[in-house]
Amino acid sequence: MSQQTRKSEGLKTTGVVLIIVGGLLTSISLSRWIDTHRSVLNPIVEDESLYLNGKTARRMSLAFNGLASDWYWMRSLQYVGRKIMNLPEDVELDNLGQLNLKTLAPLLDTATTLDPQFLDPYEYAAVVLPSVDVQQSIRITKKGIEANPTAWKLYQHLGYIYWQQRDFQSAAEAYGQGAQIAGAPAWFSAMKARMLAEGGSRGTAREIYKQMFDQSADDSVKEMARRRLMQLDSLDERDVFRKLLSTYQTRIGHCPSAWKELQPLLSNLRVPMDSGGAPLDPSGTPYVLKGCEVELDPKSEVPDK
Amino acid sequence: MADATPLEHSHSIEQSNVLHDNGGAFGRIIAIARNAFREAVRDRVLYNLVLFVLLLTAAAIFIGELSGGQERKVIVDLGLSAMLLFGAFIAIFVGVGLVYKEIEKRTIYAIFSKPVGRGEFLIGKYLGLCLTLLVNVVVMGLGVSLALVYVSRGWDPLVLVIWPAVLLIYLELMIITAIALLFSSFSSPALSALLTFFVFIIGHFSADLKSLATSMGSVAARALFAALYYLLPNLSNYSFITPAAHGQSPAASFILVTTLYAIFYVAVILATATLIFSRRNFK
Repeated sequence: MSQQTRKSEGLKTTGVVLIIVGGLLTSISLSRWIDTHRSVLNPIVEDESLYLNGKTARRMSLAFNGLASDWYWMRSLQYVGRKIMNLPEDVELDNLGQLNLKTLAPLLDTATTLDPQFLDPYEYAAVVLPSVDVQQSIRITKKGIEANPTAWKLYQHLGYIYWQQRDFQSAAEAYGQGAQIAGAPAWFSAMKARMLAEGGSRGTAREIYKQMFDQSADDSVKEMARRRLMQLDSLDERDVFRKLLSTYQTRIGHCPSAWKELQPLLSNLRVPMDSGGAPLDPSGTPYVLKGCEVELDPKSEVPDK
Repeated sequence: MADATPLEHSHSIEQSNVLHDNGGAFGRIIAIARNAFREAVRDRVLYNLVLFVLLLTAAAIFIGELSGGQERKVIVDLGLSAMLLFGAFIAIFVGVGLVYKEIEKRTIYAIFSKPVGRGEFLIGKYLGLCLTLLVNVVVMGLGVSLALVYVSRGWDPLVLVIWPAVLLIYLELMIITAIALLFSSFSSPALSALLTFFVFIIGHFSADLKSLATSMGSVAARALFAALYYLLPNLSNYSFITPAAHGQSPAASFILVTTLYAIFYVAVILATATLIFSRRNFK
């Protein structure tokens, strides 16, 4: 090869490399421009419906239905997670009605149709869906019971949905049916009786969230149950504080201006307090005193609703 | 031999010598199978394992954050599905080229100038690709097991549970390979790949074929769908990925029957391929 030919080849290679690098840089710049100038979609339009229903997806997935189910399950988590992240304030997992999660039920339905033995989506449907679409929540959970008749956890989920709807009779039936399954924990029968006797009590709620916290493998559900248990504890504590405040008002004739004024009464309760004498809520944040009323600090981890 | 590379040429000569020296049909089949395996390795077919390992490693590291605590299930689903998908691609795309490449490179004349039957040639090629797929499937199975141990931070019972499912995947791949070989014995590689892919798809819809056969009004249509149901391989029997991800194993009797089904089905397909290939004129 002559020197001139070699030089010409070298120039050609340099030209091609320059085209590759230049083209790549231009496409990256254009992509960034498009990202920054993309118009914000209406959230209602953004939630496009699923192209396939569960049965069609199952047929089309051939032998890969398990993997497709995982995909729909992860999409459900991302879908809810993205909506929560866009909210300015904290919301509880069981109180997401304001988020317009209209695609959640089809996503969970498809995930469970693709793999009917996959129990986690049923739990998610029982915990998250009732505030969005309670009928879908019940339908998906019942579908799970049909496909997994020996999975007592699904009866726990069904009982929880009915309990949330204050349908204590149906909740008791669900716990009663679950109690008949071999291997179901003994507390199922106790829960049935409790639902019938005192379905709306805090004690029942505490028992439900305690079992949910102990049984769930999903961290987000566990966290929700933990916060609900803190809320129940806080409600009990605030009831006690209100009684104290009422006693104080009766004795002194006016409401206290600071927690220190209540010290003699609070010391008998052995509640944890901060350096200023304010009692701490279950998350460790001081309660706020407003006249004769006690409230949660807005920064507290304990849910207000 | 005009288009063959020096390496291929030397292998062909080596194979020809073995074929010549070894009188028994079994020895000749083994020689052809060994050569087909070497050829697959030389064609970098096993490079897909690198992609598989990368996929599993990424899944093992990142899937925990995305799956809501379901990483073990996702690892099994992903690993075994990738095993089936990669295996099916190898079975189809390598399988359809097994015979065609020999014809195109004219090395087939050198082979058939020796005392090698056409059936022996096909069976040898088939076993060679099956060996390639076996290595592939075993290495992938070990990869899934390691990924499970990693995400479980120790021993995981699923490590043992996945192996019956891996065996069923391998049996399915053996059937697909035989079908690819059958089509390639009389058709072009592109058409063979397409037809094999269709059989792979329809094989997973066998339940629909059966229900169509029973629900059709016309007797002829019923007979047609019933015939298709029994003639096409029932690949849905080999789908045990999802139950394996839930820790379920198939019954020993089920494994035995599906293995027998695969052996008989493959025997029928290879016999048919031999019949067609024996009548083929290479001039």
